[in-house]
Amino acid sequence: MKKILIILSLVSSIGLTGCADLDITPKNIVTDQDLLNTPAGMDIYMARMYSLMPFEDFKYMAQWGIEFNGWLAAIGIEGTGEAVTRDGISTSFTGERTAYWGRAFELLRDANHLIETLPNYRDKFSEELYNHYLGEGYYVRATVFYAMARRFGGIPLVTKELQYPNTLENLEIPRSSEEDTWNQILKDYDEAIKLMLPKGPKSGYSNKYVALSFKSEAMLYAGSVAKYNETVSGRLTGLGRKTGVRVIGFDASTAKAASQKYFAEAYSAARQVMTAGGYSLYKKKWAANDKEAQYQNMVDMFSDLSSPENIYVKEYVYPTLTHSFDAFSSPFTVRSPLSAGTCPTVDFMELFDGFDKYPDGTVKVTTGQSNREGEYELYDKPMDFFKNAEPRLRAYVIFPDDIFKQRKMDIRAGVYTGQTPVKPLFTDYSYATADTRYQQLGVYTGSPKTLYLSPRDGSGQQTVDYNGQKMNAAGNEGPFFDNGEATLTGFYVRKWLNTNPAKEVGEGKSDQPFILMRYAEVLLNAAEAAVELKMLGASPADGSDLLQTATTAVNEIRTRAGADLLAGTISGDNTGRDIVRRERRKELAFEHKAKWDLRRWRVLHFEGRDGFWGTQKDKNLYSNNENFRFRGLYPFFSTATGKYFFDARFQWVSTKTFRYTPVDYYFEIPGDEVAKSPKIDQQPNR
Amino acid sequence: MKNSILSALGILCMLSSCSLFEADNYEAPAVELKGIVVDAQTGAPVLTDQGSEGIRVRLTELSWGDNVEHNPDFYCMPNGTFQNTKLFKGNYNITVDGPFIPLVRTDGDGKVLSDDSKNMELNGSHEIKMEVHPFLKVEWVGDPVVENGKIKAKVKITRAVTEQFFRDKIEPLGNYNPDFLNVTDIQLFVSYSATVGYRARDERWSSKIEYNGDSFKTKLGQVIDIVSTGEIPKGRTVFVRAASRINYDTPRGTGNRRWNYNEAKRVDIP
Repeated sequence: MKKILIILSLVSSIGLTGCADLDITPKNIVTDQDLLNTPAGMDIYMARMYSLMPFEDFKYMAQWGIEFNGWLAAIGIEGTGEAVTRDGISTSFTGERTAYWGRAFELLRDANHLIETLPNYRDKFSEELYNHYLGEGYYVRATVFYAMARRFGGIPLVTKELQYPNTLENLEIPRSSEEDTWNQILKDYDEAIKLMLPKGPKSGYSNKYVALSFKSEAMLYAGSVAKYNETVSGRLTGLGRKTGVRVIGFDASTAKAASQKYFAEAYSAARQVMTAGGYSLYKKKWAANDKEAQYQNMVDMFSDLSSPENIYVKEYVYPTLTHSFDAFSSPFTVRSPLSAGTCPTVDFMELFDGFDKYPDGTVKVTTGQSNREGEYELYDKPMDFFKNAEPRLRAYVIFPDDIFKQRKMDIRAGVYTGQTPVKPLFTDYSYATADTRYQQLGVYTGSPKTLYLSPRDGSGQQTVDYNGQKMNAAGNEGPFFDNGEATLTGFYVRKWLNTNPAKEVGEGKSDQPFILMRYAEVLLNAAEAAVELKMLGASPADGSDLLQTATTAVNEIRTRAGADLLAGTISGDNTGRDIVRRERRKELAFEHKAKWDLRRWRVLHFEGRDGFWGTQKDKNLYSNNENFRFRGLYPFFSTATGKYFFDARFQWVSTKTFRYTPVDYYFEIPGDEVAKSPKIDQQPNR
Repeated sequence: MKNSILSALGILCMLSSCSLFEADNYEAPAVELKGIVVDAQTGAPVLTDQGSEGIRVRLTELSWGDNVEHNPDFYCMPNGTFQNTKLFKGNYNITVDGPFIPLVRTDGDGKVLSDDSKNMELNGSHEIKMEVHPFLKVEWVGDPVVENGKIKAKVKITRAVTEQFFRDKIEPLGNYNPDFLNVTDIQLFVSYSATVGYRARDERWSSKIEYNGDSFKTKLGQVIDIVSTGEIPKGRTVFVRAASRINYDTPRGTGNRRWNYNEAKRVDIP
């Protein structure tokens, strides 16, 4: 026994010896040699960078941040006024659960590595291709810096690949001033624009015009911050405690010049896309004076990959790369597993043409001068209320009784059995009484009971005898006052939803593309920058007529949308600016853009809130000195007449309130990053 | 048998470590800090509302060095007092922010001009008094009366610091604007709760009067009538408080314009 053990240990000790040093590269590690040598390798490098890009599409939730998380997919619910949803995710955009910090530096490292290492492989590619790849590096870096700057203001500008292990001093990079940050973003976009091809080498790559379009968006943000920070208390600026650097806001002496510079850059970038990009608004099915065609055209444009309007698109492919927008934001009866994630508000509807309004600008539902006066107007069918609605609105929002997936969307808040004419259901529609609901009204709780509502669907439905038949109080699509899974506001979103009735709805079953940048936005960027420049008394470098450009751009969009055209030329003042802003609110709704626009316009905090809707609207209609809320439009059926009437009331189901203070215009820097670094500053006003 | 005892012992040895049998050697936080925020001139407590719109108390434990983050903020009670009975002992900086001249004032370049915050070694039970200069003084004039479910109250608003004093303290901070001194609004908060204030107000009945620009200037020291809105049901007991503020946010840049309050009064609706 002992002998065997000795022999065994001797034999195994022989097996452990060797003579060669292990200095060959392991085969399972991918190196620069493999990737930066050929276009095929570059595809892989780019695919990794693009998969980390902070794009906001179906897999972005404002409350959660850049998590690439498609759960509960909904758009416009973060206090933009476009829509609301039942869950806690429907809250003001005052920060993100996962701050865009760590992931940003990861991607920056990849971009910086490309910029620094690719020159070693210059001879492997044609001159143009080499330049394009290098340009992609700058484009990615600009994208990351821009995504961070609009969240935090000044950020650590990591413009080289950090080598480690290294001493702490060489790795710690403090936040730069906000002005330097925007200048770096401008520089990186310009470098990308100079280097990139007018058309990407492959589908999915960026190109010169993509960079120009995003540059115009970024510079509009920078210009707005420089200008509108001045309208917030304390000028919204401050120095970092550790570094003494102006990490948020602009110095009083440079703010005006900076805003002019950035607006001019935004304008010229957008103009270049307009004059040389070869893009145009999608009008494949559009026909003049044909509302039905104009509506169908705008429904189709969001899923048509051949659209000439698409500048930058995130594509999905079933079954390998999918999202779940239909699974979470479809109407109630289409639910799988959830529904009604995106319920548009009546405040949003009021931005559009085709409705009668009261003197205060809210939608007219009664014969009186406000919605608590007069009697309800009656309609034979719910769609009659919307018969003049702008086709664009109908393409974005599902109205009560409109067709979706070849079915009528049966949306009804309740049934009224009292005599007509019907007086307004509430005596007070002011913000202070927003928490009084239909189910608390005497007509519902009292006797005789004349108002029927349903807490839930199915057996939860109250019924009314009408023409010898039982009629459910609420429509099949809701709203139900105790079930937030149906519409909360009387509307469902239509934009982005798959319209094919045969297509299966479910988690990870959707493959519609998301348009990250389209030509309509470029037009609106040009228009907004033009008006801002005019107000600053500047003239553009290309000699174009600022206000004419703005007017043409807005009219082009309105023509396609089927909206009323402008009566004259847009003026170079706040009125003109608000025309462009309102158009932007309408056209780019449900595209993850509005929340940034509201931030850069600085119209979310109470003092600035009159401008919240892009146009001037009295904030006291929908907010107190802190919170604000949105309203729904609730259709009721009157059994005495067989007709419908509408009531516009603060969100009835799963009530949400929103709140914003000037502090929120700059997100908090993650506390642990501040605590562990001797150089990273927290926002000075926190 | 012997083997299994040995292996059990072996396993026990492996599982043990030097500190396994020692008790946690850090004391539970038991240091108490009680304080009150008072008007430096009159010695009267500065009344507030409990919440982030009221008086904020910020402690910073300094032994962590230069790169320290402040402790979680907490807020004064409506009567202007605050307390925290679960603090670790240590060397703290204590400061309060509210409707009064900031205790720590820095100029536009971040240079500290004046620092009235307190640095203290906390290790037992402490009571402190923070002396501040409030912006406004809000007083009841007589008792509120009830008519048809509405509360009618009379209040008087005066400045607690002179305009010159305010200017002397605030102007060096940069970007001074005479509009800072404007009284912007008077609030009448109504609530079922005795801790009535901005946070605990009932929006059905609370009311406000807003003033544009410096239109309130002539009304300083005058008796102002303010009436609640809506109709409070009969037989209820509510509490009311008035508050007023100027056009100056503290800390600067937060947009948080804090109110000065008077004391709550109980009102029975007959």
